[in-house]
Amino acid sequence: MYKSAVVIFLSFFLLSTVLSGCGGSDTVATVKPAPEPPAPEPVLDHSGLTPISIDVIDKLEYLSGGDATVFVSNENAFSRKPALIIDDFQLDGFFTQGDHLFRTPDDDIGPILSTGSCQGCHLNDGRGVVPSTPTTPMSSMLVKLANGKGEADPIYGDQIQPFSIHGFMDGNALSAGFSKHDGSVSGTELYGEAFPFIVFETITGSYPDGTAYALRNPVYKVRDLSYGAFMEDIRFSARVAPQAFGVGLLDAIPQENLLALVDEDDSDSDGISGRASMVTNVFTGEKVIGRFAYKAQNPTVLQQVSGAYNGDMGVSTSIISTEPCLDTQLACLLAAEQENKTGNVVDLGDHSLALVEFYNRVLAVPARRGYDKDSDIWTEEVTAGRKLFLQANCSGCHTPRHVTGDAKGSELGELTLGGLTANTDTEHAESIAVLSNQTIYPYTNLLLHDMGGSCAVTRETEAGLSCSTGAECLYVQRCDGLADGVMQGDASGSEWKTPALWGLGLVQTVNQDSSFLHDGRARTIEEAVLWHDGEAKDSKDTFMNYSKAEREQLLAFLKSL
Amino acid sequence: MKFSSFSKISAALIVAFSLTACVEDGDDGTSGVAGADGVAGKSGVSTFVTRDDVIKTNANIAYAAYSDALISATDLKVVLESFVATPTPANFALAKQAWLDSREPYGQTEVYRFRQGPIDELKADGTLGKDDAGEGPEGLINAWPLGEAIIDYVEPVDGLSGPESPANAITDNIIANTSAYPTINAATLENLFEYGEDGRNVTTGYHAIEFLLWGQDLNKDLTGAGERDNSAGQRPVTDYSNTVNACTSGTVATTDNICVRRGQYLVTTAELLIKELKAVTAQWEPVSGAHYKNFVAGGDVSLAKILEGMGRLSFGELAGERINIALIENSQEDEHSCFSDNTHRDIFLNAKGVQNSFNAKYVRIDGEVIEGASIYDLLVVEEQHELANKLRGALEATMAAAAVIDTKAKTGMPFDMLIQEGITQPNIKAIIDALVAQTDDIEAVIEALGVTTNDLRDDTDQDI
Repeated sequence: MYKSAVVIFLSFFLLSTVLSGCGGSDTVATVKPAPEPPAPEPVLDHSGLTPISIDVIDKLEYLSGGDATVFVSNENAFSRKPALIIDDFQLDGFFTQGDHLFRTPDDDIGPILSTGSCQGCHLNDGRGVVPSTPTTPMSSMLVKLANGKGEADPIYGDQIQPFSIHGFMDGNALSAGFSKHDGSVSGTELYGEAFPFIVFETITGSYPDGTAYALRNPVYKVRDLSYGAFMEDIRFSARVAPQAFGVGLLDAIPQENLLALVDEDDSDSDGISGRASMVTNVFTGEKVIGRFAYKAQNPTVLQQVSGAYNGDMGVSTSIISTEPCLDTQLACLLAAEQENKTGNVVDLGDHSLALVEFYNRVLAVPARRGYDKDSDIWTEEVTAGRKLFLQANCSGCHTPRHVTGDAKGSELGELTLGGLTANTDTEHAESIAVLSNQTIYPYTNLLLHDMGGSCAVTRETEAGLSCSTGAECLYVQRCDGLADGVMQGDASGSEWKTPALWGLGLVQTVNQDSSFLHDGRARTIEEAVLWHDGEAKDSKDTFMNYSKAEREQLLAFLKSL
Repeated sequence: MKFSSFSKISAALIVAFSLTACVEDGDDGTSGVAGADGVAGKSGVSTFVTRDDVIKTNANIAYAAYSDALISATDLKVVLESFVATPTPANFALAKQAWLDSREPYGQTEVYRFRQGPIDELKADGTLGKDDAGEGPEGLINAWPLGEAIIDYVEPVDGLSGPESPANAITDNIIANTSAYPTINAATLENLFEYGEDGRNVTTGYHAIEFLLWGQDLNKDLTGAGERDNSAGQRPVTDYSNTVNACTSGTVATTDNICVRRGQYLVTTAELLIKELKAVTAQWEPVSGAHYKNFVAGGDVSLAKILEGMGRLSFGELAGERINIALIENSQEDEHSCFSDNTHRDIFLNAKGVQNSFNAKYVRIDGEVIEGASIYDLLVVEEQHELANKLRGALEATMAAAAVIDTKAKTGMPFDMLIQEGITQPNIKAIIDALVAQTDDIEAVIEALGVTTNDLRDDTDQDI
């Protein structure tokens, strides 16, 4: 390697010299001292750093979250605070309070909802789970709704809230909040909106070396619509709650660094054409890059948190001040009048919201495993797996490294124990040091990529017979590939935001029932890789053509993340 | 008792050192008793208090406080057993009083949290973890808030008695579900602790016992929907009846075996509490305890731990999670001892623990006073007189504010009423302000003594 670098350098030097000779003055007589060899143009990556090496692992790559890294690899791995937060009594206190709010249901959840607290979906601050049977309700995943134009349903909105508040009254009677066919049509009785569920069909295949595999292909079904039929051309997108840590670091990556990775027309012809999802920041009104949720709909952690409070828990905030009821849902509106806080008083005040935002932003990233710091040695399989990962150009979307900029504080105000005080620079609270100017290894570019596939929705009975109305008539969506058919903002029905891979190997340590991909269809990391298609097809094919030993090395690398 | 002899020994040592000093330059010399550096020369404080002395006293008080918690938990178990055997209203009252008594020493131990001590880091295998991995028994002992619906019947009133995720709810509850949990024993309760990694599935500890004694705080009308009042939970004594066909679950009659199981649950949680407290206390046992040995030999890192525990309890846990959250959410669920309405004691005792650590003084449950080398003494010795006095004053101000809340609660205005808008929130705000002020001073002390809490989290020897 060293040799070829020298060769490249020399040829560059010679070429430059020759060129400058050609382009120089045509008066040849003047004798000049030999020109200094021009320094070769340094090749820098999107962050302005020397590109990562395929062979040499960055010195501090084991610190996936920079200063916001923790050395915990047990079931609490996604729930810890960085040392720099612990060391500051004030920040420690804000985290502790945010943590409490994150796991405790608000007094005014509902009237319709998916779950009662943040932790209700982000189980142990990790991922949600796919219900184990078709009759088990979805309590830590949700279903988004849209028609072919990306418009929300006029009755149900953009998301199914499967439960009414009645299911949350005594802790173990969720069924009291289930939906009921046409149950809320009269406008007086409140039920959950509908009961979505998933049945899996098995797909089998084999690697070129003959090793067989089986995948679970999900079929989404919806029954028991309480408020009547969905609109025409309805589509469903089922999504498991993602792990909640590290988002403050992703929030702090300078936008221009991410936009530098955009390659809409695939000008480098690698088959990958990342697009930015441009969304509106509610505070500034500006169009900025979306970073959070599966289609990158939200630009900041604060907007993501507010959206979840509203859509998933039925809790209003100053950012989304309405309840999740549409004007067409009289039973829901009626129940909303019964909450403790009604009218112009939002359910969750800005002080509490800012505490949750702070907690969520600084939740730490677990350090890599497979590395011994004393000897500065990675295990052989992780080193080899990393190389195979880069060689397969998985890094074409899962960008290993970023740097963060100035992680500005909350747009809501400066946190103190007594309350929020107005931001001095009028836009943001004091910056969060532990998130600022960090070199991090999240393995994502946060861009949208077409992952292939398409979907079709039909009406059929449990037995599979075609139908058009009635309590027995289900909505059924079948897809091939990863597509969900739901347009959301800039994202098409087959585009997804590249998810971060940090912490991947601890997902099932934090919650053994967790699974992978947006709807949890992949039971293992290997299955998740095999589902890749569209822009990721070449990389997936490369993986499949690796030997069994190489595939295991690559998976060992992914588990070390 | 062990500790009186410790005090005597240290007193004797001080005398011995003083005498040695006297020999050098006489009573009137610089180091003499009345000299500028002498024991009577500066604010009456011995110049011989060293950092190690402060650390040792802090460890000795830890042992005394955890011992008291263990002793009173042992007493609690005896009283609970006698109540379960003879479930009269009088014994019920004694059982509740024994629980309240057990909280008095435990509340003062909480200043030993947040400093990588055994309460936070002692693993089930008996080894001490680190890096705030959270594997210690603190949760098993004192976890809160509860999704109490996992333990026993609840009234479907506030939507706050369940787990974080409904997916982590069990069928019925442990006491009612005789088929899934035929035997109520330690294994059953431990296996279901944080069932589904769900932090609200709290099946053991002080607050589980509290719930089993008081029940939900539904206010006087028992609807849970009415005006908040000064009543605590009102579980009927018939929930433990051992008379044939007299067992209840609240207002509902139920089968006799439910009362038997409830009684078994009550005694089993007390047994588990004793087990966990025993393990923590053993770590702090003077001379032989594993953590005691490390801690007293830890030098400035240990001194930093003392101050870190004081600061993090003052600000994040007490002022923040236990008081401020309840205030801004105006929610009984966010009240630390929400079933018994004993939160005023939690606040008072936690604050007292911080003051104990500063003054190096602890009054044991039998009245014995443990005293030794204090941070106050150390600051004076290290020429930080003003700061010593400032923090002393700040802690006193906090205790005064805590006393107001304590008095109000004891005279009919418990914490869950004080946090309501338009009532006496200023009392609550006053203690928050006082705790914030004392935290600032604790930070100043950390700086003045030049100990950094960063030393606590050196990951260099970490195997990952």
